[in-house]
Amino acid sequence: MSRKESLSQFIQQIHGRPVVVKLVSGVDYRGVLSCLDGYMNIALEQTEEYINGQLKNKYGDTFIRGNNVLYISTQKRRGV
Amino acid sequence: MEDEQIPTISVKEPLDLIRLSLDERVHVKMRNERVLRGKLHAYDQHLNMVLGDVEETVTTVEIDEETYEEIYKTTKRSIPMLFVRGDGVILVSPPNRTPAL
Amino acid sequence: MTAPSVATNPSTLLPLELVDKCIGSRIHIIMKNDKEIVGTLNGFDDFVNMLLEDVTEYESTPEGRRITKLDQILLNGNNITMLVPGGDLPGE
Repeated sequence: MSRKESLSQFIQQIHGRPVVVKLVSGVDYRGVLSCLDGYMNIALEQTEEYINGQLKNKYGDTFIRGNNVLYISTQKRRGV
Repeated sequence: MEDEQIPTISVKEPLDLIRLSLDERVHVKMRNERVLRGKLHAYDQHLNMVLGDVEETVTTVEIDEETYEEIYKTTKRSIPMLFVRGDGVILVSPPNRTPAL
Repeated sequence: MTAPSVATNPSTLLPLELVDKCIGSRIHIIMKNDKEIVGTLNGFDDFVNMLLEDVTEYESTPEGRRITKLDQILLNGNNITMLVPGGDLPGE
C-alpha cells in the first residue's frame, strides 16, 4: 500500500542524516541518525540534549527508547 | 568483537548500540528525573537491564514557599546490583564519550 | 423501521479509511498531552504513525503558546488522541 511506502521510504532516507528527535516530555535530541526500528527505538551519534531549548548535555552515542518519542524531524527548528 | 567489522558499522538496529555497551559503564536516563551510571551486565528486547556498581542520582524540585523559587535537589546513592525495568528508560548512552558540560 | 445494525450498515467507513482519504491534504492532530500538530499527510501505517510535511506544532507552555515549524516529521502514533481532516487552525 502506497501510504505505508512513503513511511519506509522516509525511514531509509534519513539514515546518516542530522535529525531532531522530540520526546513526549518536550526534551529535544539533535544528532546524526544511525538507525531506527519498528518501535521507534533510535540510535543517534553526536547527540545534543536540549531542555527548554537550552543545551544541557552532549553524548557520543545514544539509544533512545521508542515509547518516549513524539516525532523525528529532518530539519533544524526554524520556528520560535 | 568481530574482526571483520569495526563497531560503529555493526550498529544496524538501535539495540546493537546496547549490545556493544555490554560490560561497559553506561549512562541511563530514566523517567522521574532519575539518572543511573553503572556497568551493563545484561539487557533484553524490552530494555530491561541489569546494572552493577550503580550510582543513582535523583533530582527533585521543591518550590520555596516564601520566594516561590524552584530549588533543585540531587540525592545520590550507590547500589551494588540493580534490575531496571525497560519501560522507565528514556535514553542509554555509553558514558566514556560523554564530555562534561 | 428496522433497527440499525452495525454489521450490515453499508455506510460504515472504517476509521483508517478516513485517514487514508486525508493523504495529500492538511490534517490537524490532537495529541494526548494537549499538544496539537497541523501538517500535510504524506503517509501512515497500521499504528497511525504518520509522515507529515510543512508541519506546525502548537504547544501550550507556562509562558504561552509556543509554535514550531518543521519541514517533515515522522510522528509517533502512540500519543495521538484525535485527527481532524482539513482543520488548519487549532483552537478557533
